Amino acid sequence: MRMIANIFYPDSGAIRVFGHAPSGSRSGEVGYLPEERGVYRKMRVRPLLEFYGELRGGRSVSSEVNTWLERVGLSNWAEEKVETLSKGMSQKIQFIAAVIPQPKLLILDEPFSGLDPVSADTIRNAILDMRKAGCTIILSTHDMGVAESFCDSIFMIFRGKKVLDGTMASIQANYASDTIRVEVEGGLSVMDGLPGIDRINDRGQVQELRMGKGCDPQQVLHTLASRGRIFSFAVVKPSLHDIFIRIAGPQAEEKRHE
Amino acid sequence: MNKILLIARRDYIQTVTSKGYLIALVLLPLIFGGSILGTRLASRGNSTSSQRIGIIDHSGVLAQRVIQAAEQSNESPKYTFDDLKPESDEAGQVLSVSNRIREGELLAVLDIPADVLQASDAAERDRVVYYTNSTGRAQLGSWLTTIVNSSLVGLRLEQAGLERARIPELVRNVPVVPMNLAKRDPATGKIARGDASNPLQSAVVPTFLVILMVIVVMVGSAPHIGAVAEDKTQRVFEMLLSSASPFELMMGKVLAALGACLTTSILYIAVGLMALMGMSLFGLAPLHLLPWFFVYLIADVLMLSAMGVALGSACASAQDAQQLAFLMFMPGIIPMLMLARISQQPNGGFATAMSFVPPFTPVLMLMRQAMPGGVPWWQPWVGLVGVAASVFAVVWAAGRIFRIGILATGKTPKLAELGEWVLRG
Repeated sequence: MRMIANIFYPDSGAIRVFGHAPSGSRSGEVGYLPEERGVYRKMRVRPLLEFYGELRGGRSVSSEVNTWLERVGLSNWAEEKVETLSKGMSQKIQFIAAVIPQPKLLILDEPFSGLDPVSADTIRNAILDMRKAGCTIILSTHDMGVAESFCDSIFMIFRGKKVLDGTMASIQANYASDTIRVEVEGGLSVMDGLPGIDRINDRGQVQELRMGKGCDPQQVLHTLASRGRIFSFAVVKPSLHDIFIRIAGPQAEEKRHE
Repeated sequence: MNKILLIARRDYIQTVTSKGYLIALVLLPLIFGGSILGTRLASRGNSTSSQRIGIIDHSGVLAQRVIQAAEQSNESPKYTFDDLKPESDEAGQVLSVSNRIREGELLAVLDIPADVLQASDAAERDRVVYYTNSTGRAQLGSWLTTIVNSSLVGLRLEQAGLERARIPELVRNVPVVPMNLAKRDPATGKIARGDASNPLQSAVVPTFLVILMVIVVMVGSAPHIGAVAEDKTQRVFEMLLSSASPFELMMGKVLAALGACLTTSILYIAVGLMALMGMSLFGLAPLHLLPWFFVYLIADVLMLSAMGVALGSACASAQDAQQLAFLMFMPGIIPMLMLARISQQPNGGFATAMSFVPPFTPVLMLMRQAMPGGVPWWQPWVGLVGVAASVFAVVWAAGRIFRIGILATGKTPKLAELGEWVLRG
């Protein structure tokens, strides 16, 4: 991603963004929000955003700055110094710095990390609006839930190598509906000795049961019903989180060593 | 706007509106002016503690002459003499007057031997001594020497038969005045004799110009190490680098430093010129040197601030940056240590050679140019070529260090590693 954003230069090979090698003169086409947050803390919000926007786009961005500040609810903070803002506010400011002027490609590295739910929703909506407006968005995250619910296409790298590449549906198509997602009274404590279950992923209120060969979901349902009240029971494709565990988890590691 | 200029504008505004810059802008002249004023006041304080000088005249003929000469002297502060009668116990009297000096009752005591008027080869015998514990002893000694000797010469001439009234006219000193060099006016062909050289012009003006340059350059360039290191630790650069190349980023910072230094020096020079105008001394202003001053200033700032930005980018913390900051002061401090020697022989071999060493050229060449007599016309130009080549080399090397250092993590590299970064890119 840093190579696409023209921060690192490739040792070999070539990168093309919209048909061209990344260069400073085309930086207006690519917006980049790094994982490591950092902006000039001594600057006031509006001049800071105008500086970043003009540096990237090569033109005045005053009107866009006003629009975005209003959109994320920080208009009243425009003349304050960045160092006086809360962490969530600072992150919104840095997000704005990455998206003005309107880029054609937006690279976001962990955009929701550390954000409270309200701020996260604001950013999420802004990202979706940009997507609707035709902006291509590359989102890097370790949160599989975010990737699963948010992304049209998923590209997973494990130990420097690509292990998944495609839409969520095409990825799940490679896996059978071998997972039971269940919510029962007693939770994990009533899961011992379920027939045909290979592995249980405890997610607190919900448990994901991976079915082994020949496992009958009806029999599992009956067994659980005999142990307590069942609030929900569904046979589903594995989640992205589960798929990642299957690829990168300890069991996969053991298999690789065998 | 060009990205370099955009970055430079931001950094410049940030610098010149910072409290640190504004405080330094006001404090520096106060510190330097205050130190000069303080020295004068201290010196005056010493001399005003007591202006009374005791005089023990064993010859019995010189004391009144000395007292009379002192009264006619224009020396400031005005000293008054107490004629102390010689006692038979000479050692005891010396101890007694020493105690009076210790107690502050007397500033000094002049002790004239009995045979002071007799011509003698033995220096010991006709020596006049004085006792004092004043810190301004050198100035006092010089004044006493003049007063005692003029009185002594007058007395000797009178004893040789000269009329007393004529003696002052006969022994009157003629001032010996240093002159600036004569030159031929290229327009008229006439030879114009130089004016009397002014000690202010020959010593104070060159020193002022050089000190001004060193201060402005050091104050403007040295903080870059810490500022860049701080920006690096606060992760400011990664986002900027997606919009501007490392070279654009570095040059923006260098130009901002240049802008701040030019602002500072223009302000100080303007205030200095107005002060000279106010004191009707505008003629002392070395206006012909100002273009060279600014050329050297620009070269020096470019060189040092590029070095500062590069070193700052390589530092892992602000503390490491502080430890490396001494490197930034070297090109200013080393030539300052040579100033005394160079001002004695500005066109000597040592001065000429050192002023061609690029890091020292801005300070030393300017100092030599500002001194009476100046330097051969070609020397500043040759020096400038060397400085320009150095600026190019330093900026190039700094660019290579900066683009690696700015994203490097871990411990601060050693100087040898920085050398590797420069060579390998």
